[in-house]
Amino acid sequence: MSSALVSGKAQIENVYLPKSAILDRVVDEIDEVKTFFWHFENAVDQETFRRFKPGQFAQVSIYGAGEFPASLPPSPTEKETFFTVRRVGSVTAAMHALKPGQRFGVRGPYGNGFPMEDYHGKNLIFVAGGIGLIPLRSCIVYALDNRERYGKVQAFYGSRTPKDLMYVDLLKEWERASGFACHLTVDRGDETWKGNTGVVGSLFKKPGVTMELDNTIVFICGPPVMFRFVLKDLKNMGFEDRNMVSTLERYMKCGVGKCGHCCIGVAYVCSDGPVFTLEQIRKLGEEI
Amino acid sequence: MPLSAHKLTTCTFCGVGCGIYLESAGGAITGAYPSMSHPANQGRICVRGWHVHEVASSPDRLRKPLIRRNGALEPASWKDAYDFVAERLTAVKGKHGPEAIGFVTSPRCSNEEAYLLQRLARSVIGTNNVVHGLGLYRQTSIHVLRDMLGIPAATSSISELAKSDVIVVDGIDLGKQLPTIGGWVIRAKLAGAKLIATGNRGHRVAEHADHFLQIRPNTDVLLYGAMAKVVVDRGLMNVPFVQAHCRDYEKFLLAIQDFDVLWAAAECGVSPEAIEEAALTYARAKSAMILYSTGVEARGAEAVQAIVNLALLTGNVGKAGAGIMPLAEHNNLQGGCDMGMLPDFFPGYVPVENDAERRRLGALWHAELPAKPGVDLGAALGVNGGAIRALWLDQHDPLRRGAEVDAEMLAKLDFLVTQQMFTTEVSQYAHVMLPVVAFGEEQVTYTSTERRIQLTARAVEPAGGVVPAWLQIVRVAQRMGAAWEYESSAEVMAEIGQAVPAYAAASYENLSREYGRQWPCTIDRPLGAQILFESALPAKGFRFAAIERPAAPPRPPAEYPFVVVLGRSLYYWHRDVLVQHSETLKREYGMLLLDYPEGFVEINTEDAARMKIRDGARIRLVTAHGSGETLARLTGEVKSGSVFIPFFLQEMTRALTSGNHVEGDGQHPLFVRVETV
Amino acid sequence: MRARIIDRQDVPLLIDLLRRDHEVIAPFYGRGRDTAFDVVTDENRDQVQLHLPNPYYPPKRYVLPHMQRLMRYTLGAQPAVTSDGEARKRAIFGIRSCDVAGLFMLDRHFLGGEHVDVYYKNLRASLFLVNVVCTDREQDIDEDCFCVCADSGPAARENFDLQLMDLGEAIMVVAGSAAGEALFGEAIFRKATQEHVERRRAILAEVRKGFKKATSWYGATMRLISQGEVSDEAWEEVGRRCLECGGCSYVCPTCNCFTVTDRKVGEKEQEVERVRLWDSCALSGFTRMAGGHNPRKAVHDRRNRRFFRKLAHYYVQRQLSVICVGCGRCVNVCHGDIGMPNVVEILRRRSLEQGTR
Repeated sequence: MSSALVSGKAQIENVYLPKSAILDRVVDEIDEVKTFFWHFENAVDQETFRRFKPGQFAQVSIYGAGEFPASLPPSPTEKETFFTVRRVGSVTAAMHALKPGQRFGVRGPYGNGFPMEDYHGKNLIFVAGGIGLIPLRSCIVYALDNRERYGKVQAFYGSRTPKDLMYVDLLKEWERASGFACHLTVDRGDETWKGNTGVVGSLFKKPGVTMELDNTIVFICGPPVMFRFVLKDLKNMGFEDRNMVSTLERYMKCGVGKCGHCCIGVAYVCSDGPVFTLEQIRKLGEEI
Repeated sequence: MPLSAHKLTTCTFCGVGCGIYLESAGGAITGAYPSMSHPANQGRICVRGWHVHEVASSPDRLRKPLIRRNGALEPASWKDAYDFVAERLTAVKGKHGPEAIGFVTSPRCSNEEAYLLQRLARSVIGTNNVVHGLGLYRQTSIHVLRDMLGIPAATSSISELAKSDVIVVDGIDLGKQLPTIGGWVIRAKLAGAKLIATGNRGHRVAEHADHFLQIRPNTDVLLYGAMAKVVVDRGLMNVPFVQAHCRDYEKFLLAIQDFDVLWAAAECGVSPEAIEEAALTYARAKSAMILYSTGVEARGAEAVQAIVNLALLTGNVGKAGAGIMPLAEHNNLQGGCDMGMLPDFFPGYVPVENDAERRRLGALWHAELPAKPGVDLGAALGVNGGAIRALWLDQHDPLRRGAEVDAEMLAKLDFLVTQQMFTTEVSQYAHVMLPVVAFGEEQVTYTSTERRIQLTARAVEPAGGVVPAWLQIVRVAQRMGAAWEYESSAEVMAEIGQAVPAYAAASYENLSREYGRQWPCTIDRPLGAQILFESALPAKGFRFAAIERPAAPPRPPAEYPFVVVLGRSLYYWHRDVLVQHSETLKREYGMLLLDYPEGFVEINTEDAARMKIRDGARIRLVTAHGSGETLARLTGEVKSGSVFIPFFLQEMTRALTSGNHVEGDGQHPLFVRVETV
Repeated sequence: MRARIIDRQDVPLLIDLLRRDHEVIAPFYGRGRDTAFDVVTDENRDQVQLHLPNPYYPPKRYVLPHMQRLMRYTLGAQPAVTSDGEARKRAIFGIRSCDVAGLFMLDRHFLGGEHVDVYYKNLRASLFLVNVVCTDREQDIDEDCFCVCADSGPAARENFDLQLMDLGEAIMVVAGSAAGEALFGEAIFRKATQEHVERRRAILAEVRKGFKKATSWYGATMRLISQGEVSDEAWEEVGRRCLECGGCSYVCPTCNCFTVTDRKVGEKEQEVERVRLWDSCALSGFTRMAGGHNPRKAVHDRRNRRFFRKLAHYYVQRQLSVICVGCGRCVNVCHGDIGMPNVVEILRRRSLEQGTR
């Protein structure tokens, strides 16, 4: 397998060539969502890749089906690499059909990622809805693994029903963790649900919840409707655009800023993003 | 031409027949782009044309003949395949007679294929059971134009639209079906022409209309009749033209009196002023063109008659910028009909019952030809299943098109042979499958909607020894004892020239000099004819149709307040097998199905708002016969009071009509109630 | 300016020189007024044209093919991925100044940024450009050309290897690179005199006057677009005339979007190729995501996108030019006459009506 093209004297890496990855094991998350634990076949590839930043993504090739962009939910501080993928189309369906031991392709990591070092010393608030927790998981775990570097850390997470909550085992850990306030809610409960009901924004007004305006970064990720309402709540509370950050999604083909599909206004979501502050989003020159 | 890697050819998607170049390298087609000089498109093509190279190089093509043995299709040699087909057809003919066999071409088949297949059917088998595009295409336009004009084809040319003062677009969504023509219409409008659009649905071109008459389903005859009456009442008819060139004017005048404008307006659902203004605009034009669909969105016979009446009334035939343009959505719908893939006509629109002509053709083909018109194959396979026992399908899959053919009927056939480029639904019933060459791999002719007979270029060799479809028909005929000798497709064309007077001088040599030729292309007029009747309008050669005022279509009862429109048009192309083999085309045409994966019906935005139905909501449609559930798609393009059901929702359609509904039957519209779920 | 002179009849000899080391692409006539870049062979070598309408199928396809294989891989337990990189020495004889400018923009896009596109690089690095200056009003210059507005022509200032200009009695050859200058040692070249230089100046001055679309209201349009001051109605007017064919992107020398697809190779079930194909933001599926959200669903939003990408300050600053070379192809290819000049005109008219100045 060649991952480089000889061009004259210098060897330039061919960014379009996927590198071989092996599927280790698969875990069912919620309906239509699975987590795939994997590692690069080549140890050097694995080593280089491990230096990824929270908020980055990779291009996943399922041989015979195609390629799609997948967020990186693990934190670089964790041991294993994995993707959490929802089945929405033919390529993700092909991935869902993979068995441990089978090979697929990965290229990356791509994107700018969250500047977690810039946020040292700040309070962090994570607001996620539904599968929006997948990209934010990386930052949350990173922050908790570097706890002393940050101020107050809290998370607000909600989904439609209890069955739609992502990473339930991890959520249980988070609820119990010290130095981290994790508030959960669902739009509609069921017989066994004993927690909050209501939209994510309703958690902001829960008794005992305080959200400092000063020196705080708010991470938001979720479906468009949730995003709009949460943003409205946060702005009403006084949070400024430059202190709120999100990760945007767009149809992608190359992942490296060449094919043009992911452009929003003046930015390529795959390389200028996918992480943008709300201030940057306003100035992109196109509605998201 | 000094070009080596580029070949001028014609696009084979739709009936415009745009001129395009194919670029090839390494034995494969690598690119496609428009010809600047081609008269029909002059540098423009649509998204399908831009992806022709992708389709042509698709790897999913069939490469070997397949014969079904022990239930499964297995590769076979060409020789075995031909033998098998010949032997089975002979056997069925022997046991059940020639009338038990039917032949169907796709409107995508070349002239050579169509000509040879109907010749096989008529001179070797002995049946007139031939048709193009089962059930989907109406022969009504052919009959009406033959009767009223003498020639069943477009009287003008596409580029003449630039000279029209007024253009009438009847019902067809040009932007989706024939975008290049849509472009000509938009540009004509920008240059000052007036645009009149009629029909039940809005569409991109209609957005530019000066007069958009969005009428209730099946009221077009009323509309055109009322318009004609306005013209007559105001004395705006072209009297010299009518008197010199038309028969039956008095009968027409008598009948038109009944098309009261106020009454028509109320039934059509438009204002009487709108009808009047449109009529006056049309009548006052120095030259006016009417465009209507003959295929995918075809009209009934009376609607076509009413359209021709208007054109004759105002003298809009035989001069620049004027005419009647029956539009073919498929690249060779026109050619297939010219070649006689019609149960009641031989090539050249000669009725099979015309003894003298039948004998002339019989002499050319060395056989006695059947005089009895063929059956309606769609009906024969749909209702009284037993009549047809063997079927030959040339690049046509009736199961994909939402036609009347049931899979069960196909399964019961004694013998089914298909010629296909890709495996599709019908393949599972085939006893023999013969792969065909792709676009760019053969030199054959297609006749566009403006009568332009064009030659395609052979840019690359067919992959894997696949044989052109026309040659396969020859081989089978030879196996059945016919003494056919065609060394090349050019020789087939030479014979066509003998069979069809309008093609008499359309040799490959003549066709390759410029951009094909528009028929009639005869020895004394080898350059073809851009505008029919331009040189000489026939004395009393045209005939008015006296249309009895039809009863207005019944209005919906309170219980079922919406009228159903069973539509093809807008969503027709995503089922097209060629579209499936281009990543981009598949994406573009399949998008609506991604948005509404279970299918959808379309409801007018305001109607939906009143019923509190949101886009994408689950709804139930209920008729007197049955009900079905699906998703709602809201659009302003659908007229208030109607529900548009795309043709591919076959189960839904069956449930709502319990199989009884005849499409386009104005007197028995289908009424439906919409419920939220 | 490193300039030489050759005789008119030596142009084929120049092409022969190039053919020693390159596959030479040159413009030829097709049917009617159709022209195309095609491979020069012994058979057609005498029919290379110096003056003819600019070939419609843009020469960007020599660095970004209409359809290009990126790699192949085998299915199975151990999928093996191989990439066949093309690196064939090619020379394009007769590329116009507008297309040269377009290539320069594509260079920035594919070779700049964080990653280098090796496929583009391979094709580009081995490409020798012989620019021909448009001087013939009847043949070279179309009524839809407006390179003088985009400042890309009629004579390219840079980014070519050689530039030919017809002075009438002889051809001036200017070297734009070391590779170009290296040819000057050949016998067909002789020194250029001051007279030749004067003649060149005079011809260019005359030619510039001949462009019919002499003004294109770029400056203010750029500002309106960059500041988000174009109304929805204006874009809807443009969108109504769009039949979503993608042609404008395909023929545009500066457009570079592509899509990628995997498909089987021939009959072998186990072998798959990944190809990239030209794509267009004019098409509704361009931004549609798998989950259903389509941020540019409406046609007028897509038209907005095209002209934003061509005229917004952000891009202009980086390129030091509008992202349009004034070749006029989008004018020719469009069903609804919404090529660049007409859209600029529509935006101008609308802003005057709105009073946005």
